[in-house]
Amino acid sequence: MGGVTLYHWEPNANSGKPMLALMEKGVAFDSHYLDLLNFDQHKPEYLAINPQGTIPAMLHGERVLTESTAIMEYIDEAFPGPRLMPDDPRDRWRVRWWMKFMDQWLAPSFSMIGWSVFIGPAVRSKDPEELKAAIERIPLPERRIAWRKAIYGLFGEEEMKESQRRVAVGIRMLEEALGKRQWLATDRYSLADVNGFNLAFALPLSQPKLSNDEVTPNILRWLRAIYARPATKACWALGRTALAKRVAILEQPHIGKEHVA
Amino acid sequence: MSMTLYHGEPNGPSFTVLAALFEKGLDASLVHIDLAQGRRHALPCSLQPEVAMSVEGEGPVLLVDGEGMTDSVFIACYLDDVGPGSALRPSDAYARWETMTWCRQLIERTAPAAAYLGCRAHAPQPDPAMLPKIGSVDLRARWDDAAVGTGADDKLADSRTKITQAVDKIEARLDGREWLMREFSIADLESYAWLAGMVHVVPSAFAGKSRTASWLKRIEARPAVRRALSLARGPAAANCWAPGPEINRWG
Repeated sequence: MGGVTLYHWEPNANSGKPMLALMEKGVAFDSHYLDLLNFDQHKPEYLAINPQGTIPAMLHGERVLTESTAIMEYIDEAFPGPRLMPDDPRDRWRVRWWMKFMDQWLAPSFSMIGWSVFIGPAVRSKDPEELKAAIERIPLPERRIAWRKAIYGLFGEEEMKESQRRVAVGIRMLEEALGKRQWLATDRYSLADVNGFNLAFALPLSQPKLSNDEVTPNILRWLRAIYARPATKACWALGRTALAKRVAILEQPHIGKEHVA
Repeated sequence: MSMTLYHGEPNGPSFTVLAALFEKGLDASLVHIDLAQGRRHALPCSLQPEVAMSVEGEGPVLLVDGEGMTDSVFIACYLDDVGPGSALRPSDAYARWETMTWCRQLIERTAPAAAYLGCRAHAPQPDPAMLPKIGSVDLRARWDDAAVGTGADDKLADSRTKITQAVDKIEARLDGREWLMREFSIADLESYAWLAGMVHVVPSAFAGKSRTASWLKRIEARPAVRRALSLARGPAAANCWAPGPEINRWG
């Protein structure tokens, strides 16, 4: 079949999902880092691999795979190593339900806040003409809108408020689910946890009032348990920016309300 | 194991699950509920998080051992796992990735557009007693939006474009093959589920698409599909719509 090459950004959100799944399965891969903040994902050499210009993409031999959650299911099925989908069919349904809920409902809200406070400011200092050209090169219209909003700070008060509402609801749901089970969707570590960690690893830093050892003890237990896994450590070591280094917050034995600035 | 399927008219997500159930030769107690009246919110399991917060919006619920399961593609995957009938997903990992990716793009782009246009063409009539029971604030907002009956011009235009793009993609995909993934699969069911009702709502999207027209007929000729469609209470199941998944908020 041939080797595996993964085109990814930081171990975070969509990029981190197949990275961590590959590490958990023990699959060796060529890591091809794309600098999202330098618009590497919209350059011709990458568009030749993934014409939509979205990250991540995985090459397995001649085959090109996109869509991070579907890639994770492929990784689990195509390679030997510990199974990351449970054996029970209803547990598998629950893993997929939570991944969809995070991918399509919760993550976009986290992402809007993240793009507003991190991505936008990080690229705003570039040459305005260069930025304009970079936006025009983006293949997907909805991604063009997203980048324009992030770069020029065009997020409306209402949509930010709605994102914050969803983040609060999502945190409550995660805490409740993790109060019922050891792991997010089943009693065994699964792709739902790989997905969820990529979404929530820095939660005590990004949402300190809503998530700490006092108000969400189950979420913190869960994040620390995933961070303790050798695959997670190896995966986050591939990070190059401050974004990935935020994971170190989980080394603190207690993150209490006093952590709130 | 006993299963109860609470389903609406055989259109949209209820179609997928009913047809998958029959394709797999499974038995379940079938309970018809009027999704377009919001009746799902009167079910005993309606406050379970996986029911109340289903991204799919007003879809069917499969109750197994007290647990309410939602989201039609994933319920169909479950039925595929437990039922004795022919597989509804390919066995090869790459072809399965193709199937799941196809469905993901469909539920993220096509389904919200179809539900939006469907609710504008055939407005659901919510039971006022159901509305306060809706646990999801944003689903409730989609009900309020649908009740107004008119849509924002930009959303209507964008939704028509997304339906056209989906049919274009199907037409291209069917070049030299009978089914979207070569073998009949959940991708065919889910694609039919959201697009069959669009034939009359966005006729331009289907004009001149002969491969798509034949494919729709091939699906309708399947015994399991005929059985699912025969469960319709009204004369035109494809005109029954309830608020579905939301149109992407951003990016």
